[in-house]
Amino acid sequence: MIVSRRAVVAAALALLPVRAFPQAAKVSRIGLVTIGAPESTVLSPAMAKEFAKLGYVEGQNVEFERRAAQGKSDRLPGFIDDLVAKHVDVIVTASYPAAAAAKERAGTTPVVVTFSGDPVATGLAASLAHPGGTITGVSEIAAELSAKRLAVLKEAVPSVRAVAVLWNADDFGMTLRYQAAEVEAKRAGMLIVPLGVHAPDDFDTAFSEMTKKPPDAILMVTDVLTTLNRKRVIDFAAEHRLPAIYEYANLVHDGGLLSYGPDALSIFERAAGLADRILKGAKPADLPLELPSRFELAINLKTAKALGLTIPDSIVVRADDVIE
Amino acid sequence: MSTHEVPAARRPRRPLFQKYFIVLFAAVVVPLLVNGASEAWFGYRDQKVMLSQRLRAEAGSAAGKIEGFLDDITDQLQWTVQLPWRDGSDERHRFDVLRLMRQLPAVVEVTLIDGNGAERLHVSRTAPDEVNSGIDRTNDPAIDGARSHRIWYGPVTLYSGSEPHMTVAVAGARTTYGVTVAVINLKLIWDVISAIHVGQSGDAFVLDNAGRLVAHPDISLVLRGEDDPGAARLKELQQATIAGNGESIEGHDAERRAVIAAIAPIPGPDWSAFVEEPASEALTPLRAALWRTTLLLLAGAAFAAALGYLLARRMTGPIRLLGQGAAAIGAGHFDHKIDIATGDELEGLAQRFNEMAGELALSQERSERIARLKRFLAPQVAELVEASDQEALLDSHRAEIVAVFCDLRGFTSFSHSARPEEMMGLVQEYYEALGEIITRYEATLTCFMGDGLMLLLNAPVPCPEPAKRGVRMAIEMQAAIQSVMSDWRARGHAIGFGMGLAKGPAIVGRIGYEGRSDYTAIGSVVNLASRICGAAEDGQILMDAAVAAEIGDEVPLVPLGTRLLRGLTDAVSVFSVAPPDPSCAKPSPVKVLANRRDARQT
Repeated sequence: MIVSRRAVVAAALALLPVRAFPQAAKVSRIGLVTIGAPESTVLSPAMAKEFAKLGYVEGQNVEFERRAAQGKSDRLPGFIDDLVAKHVDVIVTASYPAAAAAKERAGTTPVVVTFSGDPVATGLAASLAHPGGTITGVSEIAAELSAKRLAVLKEAVPSVRAVAVLWNADDFGMTLRYQAAEVEAKRAGMLIVPLGVHAPDDFDTAFSEMTKKPPDAILMVTDVLTTLNRKRVIDFAAEHRLPAIYEYANLVHDGGLLSYGPDALSIFERAAGLADRILKGAKPADLPLELPSRFELAINLKTAKALGLTIPDSIVVRADDVIE
Repeated sequence: MSTHEVPAARRPRRPLFQKYFIVLFAAVVVPLLVNGASEAWFGYRDQKVMLSQRLRAEAGSAAGKIEGFLDDITDQLQWTVQLPWRDGSDERHRFDVLRLMRQLPAVVEVTLIDGNGAERLHVSRTAPDEVNSGIDRTNDPAIDGARSHRIWYGPVTLYSGSEPHMTVAVAGARTTYGVTVAVINLKLIWDVISAIHVGQSGDAFVLDNAGRLVAHPDISLVLRGEDDPGAARLKELQQATIAGNGESIEGHDAERRAVIAAIAPIPGPDWSAFVEEPASEALTPLRAALWRTTLLLLAGAAFAAALGYLLARRMTGPIRLLGQGAAAIGAGHFDHKIDIATGDELEGLAQRFNEMAGELALSQERSERIARLKRFLAPQVAELVEASDQEALLDSHRAEIVAVFCDLRGFTSFSHSARPEEMMGLVQEYYEALGEIITRYEATLTCFMGDGLMLLLNAPVPCPEPAKRGVRMAIEMQAAIQSVMSDWRARGHAIGFGMGLAKGPAIVGRIGYEGRSDYTAIGSVVNLASRICGAAEDGQILMDAAVAAEIGDEVPLVPLGTRLLRGLTDAVSVFSVAPPDPSCAKPSPVKVLANRRDARQT
């Protein structure tokens, strides 16, 4: 009868929403660009892991286009053009030059920036709350952390007075960090030995300078240039028994003594989160830039031991990452 | 018989089947509907209440979690105000702070203030520590607030116009223990708020007392700051909830989803925790219940329809049979049997119909018989004969009868000259005048012969003194016709009327064939009466001796002597009824009679 047929149809309709239709998995394309080395920052497996946590499995529903300029910033515009031509859904950049290249050439392709200083100060975005354009990402509490690092270094090794600061003098953002260190040094009665570098070859000059006139410690401002040469710096510090402080924990894992800075993993996590929102249809203009909210103090006690240093409890108590 | 044909069954304007069906269907469906609707309504209300309670419980639990997050911080801050301040540097306090910050990533900076309101230690995640800066904080509302309430929560402020921060101050049990002021990055409540799930896709969020968004699973919504339309919608939701006396309310969330939301206060910082569940999801059990009710109602309606259909058919079927039967009987099919075996009143009714058909058959037979009898018997005699079932009377037998003949004089010449309608009118008038008298005297009419009649008395029904009766009838007939004829004569028609009676034995009975039968008498008396009538002149009533003998002196008679009548070998003695008043005798009839006689003689 009609009634029973209606009932069947009704029952079927009622059940319908319960069974979701399996959708053909859409493959998202994400461009990852860094000025640094392959496997560094956003190109690292840690970044892919953050995407995986959000359900993006490489080879299944996501394709990563990885581009590493290995320090050669003139390659970045070509990378961006290439990614736009490949119709990636979103570009994730690391470093200010990569972000700047993306802003200039990515057109309407959304961009998530990381490790590029303060995007509002550098004009990448209108404001933290309302970036406005096609760029969002994770901002940095850029310069002032250098002062904090100097204070941490001083506390870890109270005898330190003269600190050699290694930084990429070609990068304005990095120079700001050097300057913040200088201000703090004055306040704390310390002495800064500025060792600005422009090219990998400059490191030899810096090393010979430090050999000639040994400082008490090294503060390395971390950018692509210094990161690419980190091994030499760490080796030099070990060789000359110099305590050194860096920005990110990975350098401490590589043998550096100390690091203090934003937690890189949480930056990856937030960058992946923002990229995910964009892939799901959000406009970058509506996604506020985020500030790092977790900071990490890492110590390598092996290095300390090798240097014959005893790290005071006031440092150990606040360390998030201790390598023994 | 075409007029008796069963009329083509007209479809009734409001068929009984329809009425019964509707009534029976309604009788089941209406209570079902009322019950279903009331159940659905009360179920809906109960579910709403339950939903509201559940959401409020979830909101309370969410508020508890947020409070837990803040309590965790204030509890730890309490540890920093457990000891009095010493002069100079104080490493114990510093260690407390460092440990606290290690454990609570949400704490961005901590400032310790001693009992005198001087800043003793400032630890920030982004700036170098400051020890014993001695900055005077006595007028800081945080210090006052903490001193009077032990724990003080500051307003929510946006760092760089985006990230929500809040200052919390905790005072020690004694003034000398100082006050600890901490800045909390509220973005980190995200860990707590995003872990709260309400139903399948519901979530929680937190607004401060000014309606500013403090925490939401969509961190971007929080970071977008004050004038965001999404956040504004949440503020509206807050106002609606407050207006709704704390009951759960329906509204729209930041993404314009229709949601049901409930609120619970977070007393410390005077915030509100909200939980929201998409209306579509929250109302799923409700909708399922409604579906169930609807399906049951539909099943009930189907059952009612089936039941109504069957019952209505059982009721109207016999009625239709009755109708058809009545039509068939009406059409004369008296042998039609209405076959109903429902065992109820309808069966009885059908039986009555069948009985009625039988009675109708009998009755029709009877009336047909009467009609047949009425052809020659007076109606009352016919009915009498029929009713007494004395049809045997009609069987041929020998009887002593009185035969009466009458006819018009001069009719033949009149019929030649008169127009047909005039003639038929006259005949009609003539028979009407006679018919009434014949019926009254219960004479048997054997046949019409143009302008003449033959009547019998004492057959088939015997009557006393038939001759007297016959003569009396004849006198009346003669008188009636004479009065009618005066009118005719006035119109110039020379017409007269004569009668003859004779009495004697004859064989009487029905003659004829199937469907056409007459009653008649055969015998010399009939002949005699006819001849006597032939001899009668206008206005004369002649009779034979047998009749006259029976009359006696009841009616004055005039013997006319014996006459030789045409067709009879022997002369017959003929009597005439004396005219009532001889002086009144008009000349014209005599003349006519003379004419007739002349005609016969020629």
